[in-house]
Amino acid sequence: MKPDYSQLLELVSEMGFRLMLSGAEIYRVEESISRLLQAYGAERGEVFAIPNCIIVSLTSPQGEPMTQIRRMPSHGTDIYLLERYNDLCRHLCRETPPFQEALAQISDIERTHKVYSLPVQLLAHFLGCGMFSLFYGGSVWDGLCGGLCGMVIGLCLALTSRLGANLFFKTIAGAAVSAFAALALTAAGIGQNPDSIIIGALMALVPGIAFTNAMRDIMAGDMVAGISKAAEALLIGAAIALGTALALGLIHLLIGG
Amino acid sequence: MEQFTYYLPCIYAFLACIGFSLLFNIHGAAGMLICAGGGALGWLVYLLAAPLVHSDITQSFLAALVISAWSEIMARLRRCPVTSYLLVALFPLVPGGGIYYTMEHAMSGETALFLESLLHTLGLAGALAVGVLLVASLARLVTNYQNGHHRLPGGKRP
Repeated sequence: MKPDYSQLLELVSEMGFRLMLSGAEIYRVEESISRLLQAYGAERGEVFAIPNCIIVSLTSPQGEPMTQIRRMPSHGTDIYLLERYNDLCRHLCRETPPFQEALAQISDIERTHKVYSLPVQLLAHFLGCGMFSLFYGGSVWDGLCGGLCGMVIGLCLALTSRLGANLFFKTIAGAAVSAFAALALTAAGIGQNPDSIIIGALMALVPGIAFTNAMRDIMAGDMVAGISKAAEALLIGAAIALGTALALGLIHLLIGG
Repeated sequence: MEQFTYYLPCIYAFLACIGFSLLFNIHGAAGMLICAGGGALGWLVYLLAAPLVHSDITQSFLAALVISAWSEIMARLRRCPVTSYLLVALFPLVPGGGIYYTMEHAMSGETALFLESLLHTLGLAGALAVGVLLVASLARLVTNYQNGHHRLPGGKRP
């Protein structure tokens, strides 16, 4: 079968785009694309990806070069999608179905995608953050307050995401709101230990993901991608500190303590 | 009482990881249990290593090694991306407290304490990174070795 190179280009860049959108590391995106190209019999294909962009270039047997560039919008991490796309990519490499069928399978995954509803997500925030408050040495009441602050962060993130705010702003807002909530709960006499409440709630914002992925990228030799993600992680860490400091400072000013 | 100091934090870490695995949209009990189990296991290693090494940076490093190895093995068994498990399981080791205390010292103007906790936080993050990196590189070597016989010279691994 002689592959139609423009359709092949469309298929592989769509696959790479979807993988990266669900939070795959750079080396996984590049490797998946080059395996797909090999599976479909394109000898001369090159791919280059950095966190905001994927470039795929092909040369057809007649010697015509073709390139597609996909710009990445800002995205989060969705493990469910990531696993599904990864499985599909393996399947495509093994079976090499016709392009239309492959594209249909890709959009099938998007159609059957399931996310947890907002209440479940808030519950997850409650569980995660509350448990981290206990983990950082809080009492049972602190755990409860930490969970509530975590829910506040969850609500704040959902709201600011809907407004289309950037990551830095979202983090500052979330950190500030949760610190306010923690201090209010402590002032109301429910929480005893504002430190562990705030730390527990902040765990919902810490850049663990960005940092781990950055390390894995650097390890795989993608220095540009790794360094830009590591910078992002540092920036988020700074944003957490700034947001919390903002709230604590304001309270300090208002109460005048 | 002695035993509770080991069990309780690990249970907290386990439950917290279950909460966070929901936030990363992990479906299915097996995935969640693997993530949460990794988190609890890591913290157990952290606590058990305390009397041996007397340095929380080394403790973090050892815990990161164990968590990465666990995630790599589980990912191989279930044929899933390693990231899925690694992301959530590392959460208890992320120096959230360090960020907070650094900020607090900066606000109260204690420069010496601020710098000390800043460097300590960066040290903890670095220990995590080195741990993850080491295991990931080893895992890559093993995969390359296994696939070695049907690999083109200079090509990507199949």
